[in-house]
Amino acid sequence: MRAFWAIEDKPSVVAWAQTRAGKCALLLLAFLLLCTTEAWQEAMFYVIAMGLFAYYPPWRNIVFFVSTYTVAFFFSTASINDAIGEVALTEGLVALSPEVLAYIALVVFSLMAWGLMAYARSHKQSLLARRPVLYLLGLECLLCLLSYKGIFSGHVRLALWSLLCVLTPYFWFLAYALVDQRSKDRSSDLFQLATFHPAWGGSSSSPIGKGAAYLRKVFAKTPEELAITQIKAVKLLVWAKVLSITRMLLTWLCISYLHIPTVSEAMDASLQNHAYSLGMEWASLIWSVVAYSLKVAIYGHFAVGAGRLAGFRLPRLSWRPLESRTLIDYFNRFHYYFKELLVDFFFIPTFFSVFKKHPRLRLFFATFMAAGVGNALFHFMSEIELLETMGLWGMVETFHSYLFYALVLATGIGISQVRANAGYKPSTSLGGRIQSFFVVWGFVTLLHIFGDESRNHSLLERMHYLASMFEWF
Amino acid sequence: MENSRKEKIRAYLLDNLKQQGDKHPLNDNDSLFVSGRLDSVSMMMLVVYLENEFAVNFKATDFEVSLVDSVDVIASLIASQVSA
Repeated sequence: MRAFWAIEDKPSVVAWAQTRAGKCALLLLAFLLLCTTEAWQEAMFYVIAMGLFAYYPPWRNIVFFVSTYTVAFFFSTASINDAIGEVALTEGLVALSPEVLAYIALVVFSLMAWGLMAYARSHKQSLLARRPVLYLLGLECLLCLLSYKGIFSGHVRLALWSLLCVLTPYFWFLAYALVDQRSKDRSSDLFQLATFHPAWGGSSSSPIGKGAAYLRKVFAKTPEELAITQIKAVKLLVWAKVLSITRMLLTWLCISYLHIPTVSEAMDASLQNHAYSLGMEWASLIWSVVAYSLKVAIYGHFAVGAGRLAGFRLPRLSWRPLESRTLIDYFNRFHYYFKELLVDFFFIPTFFSVFKKHPRLRLFFATFMAAGVGNALFHFMSEIELLETMGLWGMVETFHSYLFYALVLATGIGISQVRANAGYKPSTSLGGRIQSFFVVWGFVTLLHIFGDESRNHSLLERMHYLASMFEWF
Repeated sequence: MENSRKEKIRAYLLDNLKQQGDKHPLNDNDSLFVSGRLDSVSMMMLVVYLENEFAVNFKATDFEVSLVDSVDVIASLIASQVSA
């Protein structure tokens, strides 16, 4: 079965994929697979854009740029529009369309990003060039402050808020572009701007494919590499579809047939003294972890599959997470690009800055900064629109639980990292693998109670619920 | 001298690759991190190893993946620091 599935290892298949018929067949297959999750017009757009990028080198930068901004303008700004609409309503500026404001803010942001890249390039010793994340965090905080209720009002506030709503989902993309400005072989500004939410990446704020520096290095260099990459793209899309069907069946089984509640519903019931049975509470938690893991994998496989179609030899976002043998292994396998973001912007700078004479502490602290502080910051920022509805204090207050989740996860991953570095290797026997599975996934499942980002329950309520699941209350 | 250094580095990297299920051979000019064979956590483990084993001195702002992307470039990096 494995040999059959590894079709990219067969020279005849790779040779066929380089013919006109082979290229058309691969693109058609990708279109059919993408059609099952996207509207056919969107799927058609992705496949044409990726195909043009792969097969017409002179047009590459233009195709990439146009596809990115077409997606930004026409396919996905719903959450940004809602956030802008909220402030427009508060400020009594209902005549202005949130959609148009989002477009204008996107153009302003792109020009600003272009300017920042040029500045970082010409001032290599500036804070912007040396510590782009710190600089951008300062900018984000400034925009938060200036667009906060009571500082400015009317059009000025709406404009600042619109810019904040657009900057936030582009934050990490811009950070990667700024880091690349220090490289000798950096990409052109057009290519850099095109990597800001590339067509394949969906609306995630975590850059799939990292930045231009990474993309230019992983791009297929020969027609043979391109063919292999595209075959792997279609294979990954097929796998995403299989997982998608699995999720659909499991959703029917767990929700429609077994009536398993969500963790939030089970927690509500428990707090109101109408708790579900213990079995149902555990089923709810396990199903929630399974559903979340499937969601991440399916989204990631579709995104990486589409990116590979363009010729980028992107590693999978999620790679056999069930086989994780330690927590650090789980961190590596579950969401590759989020982990890379945390390592690039939190782990590496911390690692080279502190505790150089204390190797274990240095490693633990750098891991903690990435998996804890970076993780919490990323998630706090990704819901910046709550600033308007909840206020800063409300946002912080309801974030306690996620903060706890991030800190416990980071401590676990940090310890696992230090142990791995000290030479600890879990047993590879069947018993050892089963034990690793239960240790890793047991930890992840229990912690999931606190990682649910619904903000509906306090940290104390979640702790109480966890204790009740063990009948400690 | 350089050959023994390369041997040590190769052995360390092969062990890492094996742990990640990669049993392909490793040539001295094969890309490790840019190609995705090893991830950034493995890269930092390599940095710790190079600091401990060969006293390589990395600076945060100058650090780039290309400095440690293959056995050849790692060996050159060590050689340049030894000669300096």
